[in-house]
Amino acid sequence: MSALALKVRGLHKQYPNVLAVESLDLDVPRGEVFGLLGPNWAGKTTTLEIIEGLTLPDGGVIEILDLDWRHQGKEIRSRIGVQLQSTSLFNKITPREALDLYGSYYPKRRSTGELLDLVQLNEKADAYHITLSGGQQQRLAIALALVNDPELVFLDEPTTGLDPQARRSLWDVIRHMKSEGRTVILTTHYMEEAETLCDRLAIMDHGRILTTGTPMELIQQLGLPSIVEFTFDGEAPDPTVFAQKLGQTVEGRGDLWEIPTQDPKGLLPCLMEFAEMEQVPYQQVHVRRATLEDVFLHRTGRSLRE
Amino acid sequence: MLLRQFLIEWKLYSRDRVAMFWTFLFPVLLLLGFGVIFRSQGPALTLVWSMPAQASAADAELEQAMARTPLKLLKLSPAEAEARWRRGETAAQIEKDQDSYRIRVNSYLLAQGQGAAQIAQQAHLLAEARHSGLEIKLLPILMESPGHAHATNYAAFLLPGLIGLNLLSMGLFSVGMVNVSYREKGKFRRLAVTPLPKWIFLGGQILHRLTVVILQSVVMLVAGWLVFGISNQGSYLALALVLAIGTGCFMAMGFALSGFAQTTETYGAISNIFFFPMMFLSGVYFTLDSAPKWLQEAVVVLPLSPYIKALRGIFNDGAHLSDHLAGLVIVGIWALLAFGVAVKRFKWA
Repeated sequence: MSALALKVRGLHKQYPNVLAVESLDLDVPRGEVFGLLGPNWAGKTTTLEIIEGLTLPDGGVIEILDLDWRHQGKEIRSRIGVQLQSTSLFNKITPREALDLYGSYYPKRRSTGELLDLVQLNEKADAYHITLSGGQQQRLAIALALVNDPELVFLDEPTTGLDPQARRSLWDVIRHMKSEGRTVILTTHYMEEAETLCDRLAIMDHGRILTTGTPMELIQQLGLPSIVEFTFDGEAPDPTVFAQKLGQTVEGRGDLWEIPTQDPKGLLPCLMEFAEMEQVPYQQVHVRRATLEDVFLHRTGRSLRE
Repeated sequence: MLLRQFLIEWKLYSRDRVAMFWTFLFPVLLLLGFGVIFRSQGPALTLVWSMPAQASAADAELEQAMARTPLKLLKLSPAEAEARWRRGETAAQIEKDQDSYRIRVNSYLLAQGQGAAQIAQQAHLLAEARHSGLEIKLLPILMESPGHAHATNYAAFLLPGLIGLNLLSMGLFSVGMVNVSYREKGKFRRLAVTPLPKWIFLGGQILHRLTVVILQSVVMLVAGWLVFGISNQGSYLALALVLAIGTGCFMAMGFALSGFAQTTETYGAISNIFFFPMMFLSGVYFTLDSAPKWLQEAVVVLPLSPYIKALRGIFNDGAHLSDHLAGLVIVGIWALLAFGVAVKRFKWA
């Protein structure tokens, strides 16, 4: 048994108008929570769907749990769990029935009661799917992904559109999967989610992987561990002149100026003095640690949510 | 596994009240509605008589003659008759024209108007003949189905047609539409990541629809028997066989068409292109006797028309399968074609 749950080499997918995935390599060791991070249309979902066997690639090699889609499709399907970006079920099926039904498709299955406990859907176990809230439907989708006790679980934007509380409760479920020794591959465009959940990350944009590493490594690679932020009341003024005089990079974004620095302690006093002198109409000053958002911005020149 | 899939299809289906209504109750209501409205020889023909206050001797003779025909006579003053005509409610009207009469027919209500006019014409001839001392006998008219099994019963004509139409709408709207919407909403994709073999899923669906169709037909047959006293004159085996061929054909058409539409909206448009011409041109509600010859001949190659003919022949007149072999072969060819297209075009996502 190889130590890798997933090994992808040179994956390629061309759609009529877009190159969705371009020579993509990926290694995911067993037992890891791995995140594919990127903005919408970065190619995360296409990559996942190819690996899940829903979409045929134009080229590349995929080894999944040491198995090959071309010859062992049925075995792969029975050993992986999949939550699609939107899981559509019958309107009038209950969570209990859905878990029983989908469970019946697999040779090995977890009990419906256990799964309902895990995703805290006991109270809604016999309510029609259409009456469940968005968060409850998503929890059911994740329970369905676990119905066959899978070794490898794919979650495509599991928390998109959920409120913070629902999101946190799903994070607990995902952490629980890891504690049971499952490999989890998820996509997200939430930084915080990637930072707290993932052992390792790949940042994707335009169908390619820009960089891979632990969240910490990625931030350290940036070489600029801190950011000084000036907050303005309303739209921030153009920072170009100020940046020239200061001799530092200043990025204007919305109501913010961001000044990345390796030495906030040294920069701050002279920055304040200078801002006073130039009569910059800022409201507040913050110093914060660099995040994955900054890594992404730095790598792509774009914000993740754009 | 197939059985479980079949049972869950039924279970989920039974929760959809609207679908149940349209499938089981609506055709019965149609049958009852049309059957009762046109209970015997179709709607009675009404003739408006625009009559001056002072009736002449000739008027009395004509009225006497009219009484011997099945016309329903409505005597109105010229002013009232004109008002009724202007409202568009009159199909045919007889009125004084110098020393004789003339008949006016509403060009919007040609079928009824012409029928009434013909009978009024006969009545007038009767009156004229009697006036000149001749007694004319009207020939008796006997209404009977082609196999002499039913007389003057529109419901008997309608029932097999409705069953056939149901099969068509089941195939096009139920099977096809459901497929497109499953694909559009990603229900197939969720199944595609499980090890469930596709043929089990499709097989479960087909079995479910098949039982629905059988039940539906039974419900209609029972309703027809209870309310109108119509019963199957042919063999039940032949009837079941014909039903099975039709189910296969029209379901395959639904599957085939669903391969051409990405969204339920486009599917609605595509399926209507097939549904409406077939419904109107296939003799479900009325025959195409008065349509142009080329149209009557063209319609024969559409599957619904020969199908309903076969169904009607067996059910109403106790025909044998062999009597309708050519028609059933046409239906079979359509089934094979549609099945081929369906398999070629079918996509999960």
